[in-house]
Amino acid sequence: MMKQFLTNFFAAVGDKTISVFTAAKTLLLVTLNIFRGIFHFKNREKGEILKQAYEIGNRSFLFVSVTLSALGMVLVFQVCLQINKITGDQSQVGPEFIKGMIHAFVPILTAMMLATRVGAGIAAEIGSMKVTEQLDALRMSGVDPIDYLIVPRFIASIFMTFILGIYAALLVILAGAFMAHHSFGVNYNVFFVFDKVTWGDLIIGSTKLLAHGSAIPVVSGYCGLTTKVGSEGVGVATTRAVINSSLAVIILDFIISAIGLMTIQ
Amino acid sequence: MLQLNDITLKLDENLILDRISLNIQPGSIWGIIGPPASGKSVLVKTICGFFKPQKGNILFNGTDICKIPETKLLEIRKQIGMLFQNNALFDFMNVWENVAFPLRRSNPDIDPELLREKAWKRLKKVGLAGSEDKLCSELSGGMQKRVGIARATINKAPLNIYDEPTAGLDPVTTSKIYDLLLEIKRQNSSTVLAISSDVEGLRNFVDNIIVLHEGKIRYSGPEKGLETSTDPVVHQFVRGEEEGPL
Repeated sequence: MMKQFLTNFFAAVGDKTISVFTAAKTLLLVTLNIFRGIFHFKNREKGEILKQAYEIGNRSFLFVSVTLSALGMVLVFQVCLQINKITGDQSQVGPEFIKGMIHAFVPILTAMMLATRVGAGIAAEIGSMKVTEQLDALRMSGVDPIDYLIVPRFIASIFMTFILGIYAALLVILAGAFMAHHSFGVNYNVFFVFDKVTWGDLIIGSTKLLAHGSAIPVVSGYCGLTTKVGSEGVGVATTRAVINSSLAVIILDFIISAIGLMTIQ
Repeated sequence: MLQLNDITLKLDENLILDRISLNIQPGSIWGIIGPPASGKSVLVKTICGFFKPQKGNILFNGTDICKIPETKLLEIRKQIGMLFQNNALFDFMNVWENVAFPLRRSNPDIDPELLREKAWKRLKKVGLAGSEDKLCSELSGGMQKRVGIARATINKAPLNIYDEPTAGLDPVTTSKIYDLLLEIKRQNSSTVLAISSDVEGLRNFVDNIIVLHEGKIRYSGPEKGLETSTDPVVHQFVRGEEEGPL
């Protein structure tokens, strides 16, 4: 009985370990092929990067705007509320809020928004193409699906995540300032103090945006390419894309923050 | 043209193709028939390099496609025109863009006007003049099949593979599709490999036939010899009898 249990247990663990390593190997190969595909200019449709930039940027614009401005206002409201209870000196709310947003919050929150919006879209599109054999049809025309489908989304995502990140940072700071001024009477001149923002914060924030922007299409593209058969498979791939992209963003954010704290700051 | 030597393919520990050997001469028409899940589609996809067999090799014009990297396989695949079982039309393109796609990828510098003209001519050939700018989802099953055939044959590839070219079509359309495939074959002088569940329709179309069952070839040879085969699976499948090993 015990022997059977142990055999099954180790078989299950071994099976899972092999599948994790196989998935990691495939993800690594997809990543390498994406980086190689950047230089395969002839394999891409003309204007495809711009089209994808529009899809990613324009369609995420409202989502990012509403979420991040609301978050900025709530954060400032809560901070001001607590400070009012203790010292009442709100002169440091603006500078610290701006620093925190640029360094940490805006990159991860923008990327998480895009992971749900863009990651799901990429996985669903590529996944449904896989189950309907459209990826095989591309290959029969001598086209590598990674070069043709994922690379334009990869380039567009890096570019648009960076642009949306800058926009989101401006918006969240403005929203925070608006809340501080109208709810707690904090003067705009007191709030908009950028002295605490260092070059290190800007470099770390930018690096995070670029890294997150590249991770989302890689992970989502991988999930789409490995979709199992049927419409259920597309659903599973889409869910996996959102979860794994978000996870990748969190892990990358942690790594970049750690390296940033150890080196730049 | 195409030679399969002792191909054995396992997917998830299941034996899908069991020691398949074939020699397909240029210009011949081969049909593949067999009960569902006998490995027909997997066999043609293996020929296209989508599956790597564990044993054996596949020689396409002398090149072993089992041993070459994906980049070289992409070039080889340009020499194969493929109609997929469910057509696999690109849903983000309209009808003429779908048909023109393989030609455009093979000739990146082709004049756009010439490309459009060739695609329109091919669509006219399959009886779809006037549908060029429609989306594939707006077409009926038979029309989608014709678009798939137009796309598979526009490059005049030396090898054409048709996976279920008449599946789900009525007898009149089926007959028209086979006539069309024969006409295209004569014009392009291509080698043809066709899978079909419609045994009678396919037998009128092909010179040679392969019967697959559980990944094994049960019959391989001239279409006319099918009737005299002593294999019980072939006997039952061709006659559509209820009694037998199937």
